[in-house]
Amino acid sequence: MDTSQSQIQHYKNEFSAFEKNGASKSPAWVHDIRKAAIEIFEKEGFPTKKNEAWRFTNITPILHSQFRYSSAPSVPKVEKKSIEQLLLKETAQHLLVFVNGHFSKELSAVGKLPDGVLLTNLAEAVVSHQKIARRYLGKIAKTEQSVFSALNTAFTYDGLFVYVPRGVQIAEPIHALYLSSGAGEQVYVSAIRNLVIAEEESSLMIMENFLSLEENKNFTNAVTEIEAKKKSRVELVKVQHESAASFHYENVHVHQEETSNVALFSLAAGSALARNDMQVIIDGEAAECNLNGLYIVTGTQVVDHHTLMHHIHPNCPSHELFKGILDQDSRAIFNGRVYVEPEAQKTDSKQTNRNLLLSDNATVNTKPELEIFADDVKCTHGAAVGGLNDQMVFYLKSRGIGEETAKGMLVVGFAAEVTGKISNEKFRQYVDAVVIDYLQTKLGMKDLPEIVHS
Amino acid sequence: MIEIKNLHAGIAGKEILKGIDLKVNAGEIHAIMGPNGSGKSTLAQVLAGHPSYEVTGGSVIYDGKDLLEMEAEERSQAGVFLAFQYPVEIPGVSNSYFLKAGLNEIRKANGQEPLDSMQFLKLLREKMKLVEMADSFIYRPVNEGFSGGEKKRNEILQMAVLEPKLAILDETDSGLDIDALKIVAGGVNKLKSSDNAFIVVTHYQRLLNYIVPDFVHVLVNGKIVKSGGKELALELEAEGYDQIKEDAKVTA
Repeated sequence: MDTSQSQIQHYKNEFSAFEKNGASKSPAWVHDIRKAAIEIFEKEGFPTKKNEAWRFTNITPILHSQFRYSSAPSVPKVEKKSIEQLLLKETAQHLLVFVNGHFSKELSAVGKLPDGVLLTNLAEAVVSHQKIARRYLGKIAKTEQSVFSALNTAFTYDGLFVYVPRGVQIAEPIHALYLSSGAGEQVYVSAIRNLVIAEEESSLMIMENFLSLEENKNFTNAVTEIEAKKKSRVELVKVQHESAASFHYENVHVHQEETSNVALFSLAAGSALARNDMQVIIDGEAAECNLNGLYIVTGTQVVDHHTLMHHIHPNCPSHELFKGILDQDSRAIFNGRVYVEPEAQKTDSKQTNRNLLLSDNATVNTKPELEIFADDVKCTHGAAVGGLNDQMVFYLKSRGIGEETAKGMLVVGFAAEVTGKISNEKFRQYVDAVVIDYLQTKLGMKDLPEIVHS
Repeated sequence: MIEIKNLHAGIAGKEILKGIDLKVNAGEIHAIMGPNGSGKSTLAQVLAGHPSYEVTGGSVIYDGKDLLEMEAEERSQAGVFLAFQYPVEIPGVSNSYFLKAGLNEIRKANGQEPLDSMQFLKLLREKMKLVEMADSFIYRPVNEGFSGGEKKRNEILQMAVLEPKLAILDETDSGLDIDALKIVAGGVNKLKSSDNAFIVVTHYQRLLNYIVPDFVHVLVNGKIVKSGGKELALELEAEGYDQIKEDAKVTA
């Protein structure tokens, strides 16, 4: 039996154990979703480099560890004070904490919410809010499109659940903190499953914050489903700073109705191998979607973003800006697919991927994939890979600033352009602080300026 | 202060400066005029140490040192300043951080203590009055979203803060309306002293109504073809560069 086959068997065994223990209390319809997904997973198997979507991303390192799904009682205890410095500063926030994929009631703190808002964990929601959960869970994500999504779905148990009723705005940001914690030799996988439903004219802001409490190896395999109804506004900012030994996969699926506005931001800094899939179905007229991201990698890290903007209806703007800072032997993959259906006239789509290489050994594979079947559209794309801008370096040096300091300022400036796209100020400050911390601790840059935005 | 002898330089294998001779003493203002493509900006960039330009011959002695051997930041630390024709935007970095970093590196190189934030802010506010810039520019990213005039004023502000010995102004008047031009020129005039010198590169005479040069040099096709007093600028304004180009051809 080869590695891939034995891993499929391993996850099947995990699945049997999972269905028997804690997860067995879920309603029957959840068991059905899981069962269908494990069958897809078994049939498809893990992708190889022959699979176009995984051509540049070798996932075999994930197959070399026997990751286990932790049952609720085996989840390590996390002290409240160890998460204090991870919170958003100086602001009220609805905090939901997950440890190895399991909701922690003790660590979480949800404040007062407007009437009708449901903000809880998925394991609770499938029982208490069964009607809503059942209507959407697994309906937005396309399990069959990615084997990792199928694997996540097979282990659907816990994650963030948000339902915002019609016309309701949640003023304070929602902070979902996903902690990975390892104990000794045993390595764990977290199957995080998030479900976000924004009804007509509602709005909310979410920060998904993934990190490891120790330098342990862990595997996060997450799926997030977002349903944005007519005129709703959703901002989702993801911060991924897991340990350098960890593996990370997340598939964010968005379904947008007319005149809705969805903005996703992804900061990918941690993990040995991190893959972010973002798939947006713009399924209504004059809906707007913005996907932005920043990746900062060094060592032998590999980071991969695959995006899809699927335009079905007319008059929808969509914008993407993904920027990367790569040092040492790291590698980044960006694949931006824009699919414009014949009906989607006056689509205004712009996609940009810019990469800053700080080392001769860093590699970028960037690929726009535009499939346009409408004739009256504006679709642009651009990709750039290069070093620091000579003219900018010269400008700084001409003011007495030495090479190293100049480099630091320009790297910060490079990052600032894209973090400036985050509209929630507290989220932006949080992301900026993680960026500076990473540049200093992981890329060894010194005396960096504080990021300012115009 | 600076002596340029038979300077030859170019970019990407193309020679642009074809033997420049120029001597500037402390307390003097020299204007370099000339038609487009004559090499004015190249001279400014070469003196500031732009790495894309290649010096193929001649020498530049600044303050007794070989300027051409120095890195761009060393030149700045030694008191050379270039006000850019096209100031560069540095997103994400505040104007004050940028200027403080520059000033303190220059101070360090000259054996002075760095200024702390309070001291620097006080100095910056004083200098900002000189170019009539609003306080908000302190915290805005360097040149990002600035209008053309604001960028040029920001260049003069940088000059005021860094207090160079030799300031080279590369087409600082281009793209300025008359009010901005007056502010920029006023800033230069207030900074002028018997210890520093200015090289003002310009296409038009207009700026020289406000910054009055001691000497005017005309650069054509990589060479200084004529030098004179401030009246030369007025002559050029009246006659244009065509006559001088013709004369240059004859002498060549």
